[in-house]
Amino acid sequence: MMDRTSAWPRRRVLAGMVGATAVLGAPAIVRAAPSGTPVKVGGTLSLTGFLAQTAVIHKIASEIMVEEINGRNGFLGRPVEYVLLDDQSKPDVARSLYEKLITVDKVDLIQGPYATAPILAAMGVAQRYGKVIIQSSMGIPKLQTYDRAFPATPFGPEPDKTYPNVILDMMAAMPTPPKTIVVLTSKFPSAQFMAQGMRDQAEKRGVKVLLYLEYESGNRDFGAIAARVKETNPDFLWVGSLGLESNQVLESLRKLDYTPKNSFHLYPAPGPLALSPDGDKVLCSTFLEPDEPFMSRPGMKKLASEFKEKATKANLPYSTIDAQACGMISEWQILEIAVNAAGSLDDEKIAAWLKKNRVTTVYGSLRFDGPFNHGDAAQLVKQVQNKEWKVVWPTEFAAPGVKLIAS
Amino acid sequence: MNAARDLPKVVAGLAIVALALLPTAGLPAFYDSFVYLVFFWVSLSTSWALLSGFAGYFSLGHAAFFGVGMYTTATLTTKAGVPFLLTIPAAAALSALLGVGVGAVVFRLRRLRGELFALLTLAVTFVIGTIILNTPIDGGGGVFMSAVPLPHLMPTPTGTIYILGFAICVLTLVTAWWVAHSRLGMGLFAIHDDEDVAEAKGVPTFRYKLLAFALSAGIAGAVGGIHAMYVGFLTVAGTFELTVPLYVVLMSVLGGSRHWLGPAVGATAITTLLYAFISGGEAMIGRAIVGLILIVAILWLPDGVIPAIQHWAKKRRPQPAKAQAEVVPVVPATVRPIGERHILEVRAVTKRFGGLQALAGVDLDVREGEIFGLVGPNGSGKTTLINVISGHYPLSSGTVAVDGVSIGSLAAHEIARRGVARTYQIPRPFANMSVLDNVALAATFGGPVRAQREIRDEARHWIGFTGLGSKEEALPAELNLHERKFLELARALAAKPKLLLLDEVLSGLNPAEIDNAIRLVRAIRGQGATIVFVEHLMRAVVELSDRIAVLNEGKLFALGAPRDVMRDPRVVSIYLGKAYAA
Repeated sequence: MMDRTSAWPRRRVLAGMVGATAVLGAPAIVRAAPSGTPVKVGGTLSLTGFLAQTAVIHKIASEIMVEEINGRNGFLGRPVEYVLLDDQSKPDVARSLYEKLITVDKVDLIQGPYATAPILAAMGVAQRYGKVIIQSSMGIPKLQTYDRAFPATPFGPEPDKTYPNVILDMMAAMPTPPKTIVVLTSKFPSAQFMAQGMRDQAEKRGVKVLLYLEYESGNRDFGAIAARVKETNPDFLWVGSLGLESNQVLESLRKLDYTPKNSFHLYPAPGPLALSPDGDKVLCSTFLEPDEPFMSRPGMKKLASEFKEKATKANLPYSTIDAQACGMISEWQILEIAVNAAGSLDDEKIAAWLKKNRVTTVYGSLRFDGPFNHGDAAQLVKQVQNKEWKVVWPTEFAAPGVKLIAS
Repeated sequence: MNAARDLPKVVAGLAIVALALLPTAGLPAFYDSFVYLVFFWVSLSTSWALLSGFAGYFSLGHAAFFGVGMYTTATLTTKAGVPFLLTIPAAAALSALLGVGVGAVVFRLRRLRGELFALLTLAVTFVIGTIILNTPIDGGGGVFMSAVPLPHLMPTPTGTIYILGFAICVLTLVTAWWVAHSRLGMGLFAIHDDEDVAEAKGVPTFRYKLLAFALSAGIAGAVGGIHAMYVGFLTVAGTFELTVPLYVVLMSVLGGSRHWLGPAVGATAITTLLYAFISGGEAMIGRAIVGLILIVAILWLPDGVIPAIQHWAKKRRPQPAKAQAEVVPVVPATVRPIGERHILEVRAVTKRFGGLQALAGVDLDVREGEIFGLVGPNGSGKTTLINVISGHYPLSSGTVAVDGVSIGSLAAHEIARRGVARTYQIPRPFANMSVLDNVALAATFGGPVRAQREIRDEARHWIGFTGLGSKEEALPAELNLHERKFLELARALAAKPKLLLLDEVLSGLNPAEIDNAIRLVRAIRGQGATIVFVEHLMRAVVELSDRIAVLNEGKLFALGAPRDVMRDPRVVSIYLGKAYAA
């Protein structure tokens, strides 16, 4: 298992934790209501277009967080006003809208959009104007080359190396450790990036890669791929999937009367996979689930409850708080803590503070002083047990009584 | 007067200068960015219209050419270190080459028109996307261009992208204007309306389509090259997506895809509308409103905004007093002697359609200045022979020579340029062109090379000659059958043909109109043309023809003077049966 400790000065860690606790945990009664000219925070989300279904989760999370922050002390005692624009799921529109936010709307601060391509388009604009940009959904950290861009999700600087090792550690801990693996992946940039890492790390750790196969993103017919998987009959199947692809892969395998011994899925649609007849015991990546120990983190229970209420009202099919929503929550938590701790809306000061301090968010304690401003990796493994997702690895993040169920 | 005429040019010139200087005006960068995106869509939709709007080859594959441009720039800059500006012509060239390659195959097949062409171009998009996705060009991981240096053409990076987008936009509009007002554009508009007729009137359809495809794809490639730098991170899914062709189609249709400025109007309107509803609170409602506006606009203005404005302006203009459409030819027919020289020589011509032998070894000679009647029962091969001579159908075997030169292996447009003109049994005018433009096109492509003013004077002459003088600006749909038949004649005459092939020009006319038509045909012969005349109306055939050939079952059945042939019992028998022949 990887080493999660760091050589950070204890004082800085404590400073961050105290700040976070003060912000998130202190009773409202001791806080003054924010007043004065609102601090405008601008951002875009893909509210229309092909990314809209996921972006709406980020929108709800943002609304919750703006209410939360304004219910505390706002930014520097001033209320926060969220200027949200629709980038239509297009990076070129995202770029132009960030220029609008910065040069026309004159927002004080910006938040990152959703998905890698719009994030990179926005990052270029942020860089030209020296703005801090915090994002939560770019799965290829090495592309985050801008000095004032910060991740709100703990991928770590090299998730293609660290996360496969988390999975390989888990495999090694199984009663019968898998000796062979098949890696399937969508040719979606972030999925392919992780799949190549999984292949390389498995080989390094002596797990034989029987098959490495890429399919086009958006593929719907997995019959031929399933036949090849069945033919190789690996001990472990790793799928770099997005959305419903995992359901389709497993269904295709079932039609061949084949059930993988163990299978892992990278970025599937969580609800449909958990409820699928093929989903039992499948494994998946996550950063947190609405369970212990995560629910004991400061403010988490309230956030989960508010999210459920708003998501149900918005008719979202999956109204439970998950890593998507928490990514955006983490963005706002980082910004809130950094602005108030830096005591300034100046991007240079905010960036400087973030690089020197830890921030406690729903994802735990994050730091930003590593390569590409990433800190420790904290990607976990969850498993479908009785139609519900349960974190199973590393074991210290598993809820009491929850254990990995291997084949 | 001159000042008023030059006003649009002055306004356009000032607008170009003002737009070029916008990035130096110190406005917020968003305005540069937004106007750049307008330029981007104007260029892309106008380039689409060059082929799909002008020539009617509806493409759903514009993302392929745009995407090739994007990836050319991305690859050359990130992997080969080529300076960004140098990659733009390379992007244009590669996309144009792809367009020519696709066109060279597709345009040879007549069946690949309409929806099949649209589907095929869509398939090209998927093929190109798949190749790029599965090769090191992309490989699935996307191409990140943040490290590519951008030249400092303007004070800001967005300003530099803006000025490049502006330059390509101006270049695109100038190209579209030039094409629309050139011989190429005239040919493309004719191809749009009726490609076979365009070919028969002398338009080199294959070459023109290829040229339009190359221009269309090349511009899209250059636009893609610039846009790659604007987006900064390319993925196959984001580049070769369906929204690109759907947007350009929508923009072009809204503005008017047959007008050089139409797509620009549509692109500006739609881009502005999309930016009018960008607030997070109104995103969904905004998109619905935009959709509704577009539906209403397209329902009310099916030909687009620009044609609607032109139509409105035309209706407001004072109309010249309408003369009665009296279609009596005004040029007296003067009988010229029939020469000994053979204008048309048909030798052992056969034409097969699968198992059907439409022509089975026909031999004919037509003399200079002659009116040669071609008759026979239905299915005897008369129209097929006209189609073979005019190049509409290739020969199965045999030879055809015009004025001593073999034309049997030539394309229809080359035959037209050698002085062979034809009319159609059912008139096939170019539906979206005025009477004047219909005739001018035939004069342009079929006749000798002349200045446009001379060509239009010539066209007016033949319009007057056929009695359509008051209908110059009318569209064919506004003409009755009689007038459309005469429009066919005017088009044929405008090409100054050596040989005129008239296919049942009298069918469907009333007796008075037939008399007019007969006088007209005589008048045409009086102009020096040799006429091959397919007709069922025996009175006209006998009255007009110097000689008659009777075809039956694809063979020459009888040949001679009209009255002799029509009295031949064998001829009577094939028309009326043996009982009448006896």
